[in-house]
Amino acid sequence: MRRHLTAAAFALALGLGASGCRPPTMYHWNAYDERLYAHYRNPQDRETWVEGLKTTILEAEQQGRKVPPGVYADYGYALYEEGRFPEAVAYFGKERDLWPESRVLMEKMIRNAERRGTGQAGKAPAATGPAGALEGK
Amino acid sequence: MTTRLAIASLAVALAAAGCATPQQKDYAKFMSAQPRSILVVPVVNKSVDVTAADYFLSTVPIPLAERGYYVFPVNLVKRTLEDDGLADAALVHGADPTRLASLFGADAVLYVTIERWDAKWVLVQTQVTVEFEYAIKDGKTGDTLWSEKRRMVYASNGGNQGGLLGAIVAAAVTKASPNYMPLARQANATALAYPGPGFPAGPYRPEYKQDWTPERR
Repeated sequence: MRRHLTAAAFALALGLGASGCRPPTMYHWNAYDERLYAHYRNPQDRETWVEGLKTTILEAEQQGRKVPPGVYADYGYALYEEGRFPEAVAYFGKERDLWPESRVLMEKMIRNAERRGTGQAGKAPAATGPAGALEGK
Repeated sequence: MTTRLAIASLAVALAAAGCATPQQKDYAKFMSAQPRSILVVPVVNKSVDVTAADYFLSTVPIPLAERGYYVFPVNLVKRTLEDDGLADAALVHGADPTRLASLFGADAVLYVTIERWDAKWVLVQTQVTVEFEYAIKDGKTGDTLWSEKRRMVYASNGGNQGGLLGAIVAAAVTKASPNYMPLARQANATALAYPGPGFPAGPYRPEYKQDWTPERR
């Protein structure tokens, strides 16, 4: 009897835990928290982080789900770091269009990217990094 | 004896589920500011665990965005702050919130401070104590719109008990490479739960402006 009570309480605990009062997520996160943590613990493995962002975007777009806030912008920033300024501008623009709250920051980033992009005109093409490599796929 | 254990485990489960007892908080300032966007700045870590800040910074954006708020790109923000000479989280926390907010065009800024984060391994039992403080400050006035301070103790019951808490603690059990990800997620979920210690939904949730009325205070 007591054992049954324990089992019942435990089942209830499990049920609460499983439901956790959380409905399905609004956005396609694709283990964003684990990827971000891994990126901070292991910054030299930048490629995995950037690939993860790209995958999140592709999967979300394919599944017709909403790309989470900040993901277009973080991917745009990865392109920016690699000197791929026109593509960076495109992704900053996507963030701004999807999330009007990001307008001030995204327009700043777009201005920066355009300025640096013009500065580089005529120079040798920027080294292709992981973000660029993914772009070609 | 067994009954007592059952009740205790139920109580722990309820507390951890974070949807049990709604707490009374004054949301008047929060609601009049009506932030749509939240800037998450680097976490101040006062604990002995060097990974704690990364665990918290990584796990906070999902529940915050899922509460219906726009969350600024965490990595871009971190790098931008570093470029501006604000690599140290304590410096960021000490800066004027209205200046930070205007730099990014944010309605509000979320500050997280970890006071304590440690694990004890005693025979078959593992106990993890987490203590942290959250504050959301208004980007226009610098006023604190919401804050939460909380201390949580997660303990494995030893033996072969499973369940959610068992799993959370079990992940952290391996001394060599503890995985605190489930624990950090749980701590954030508990602090942000609403009704409860958290705050009303943001503009991207259907219950926006409907889950709070002044009378409910």
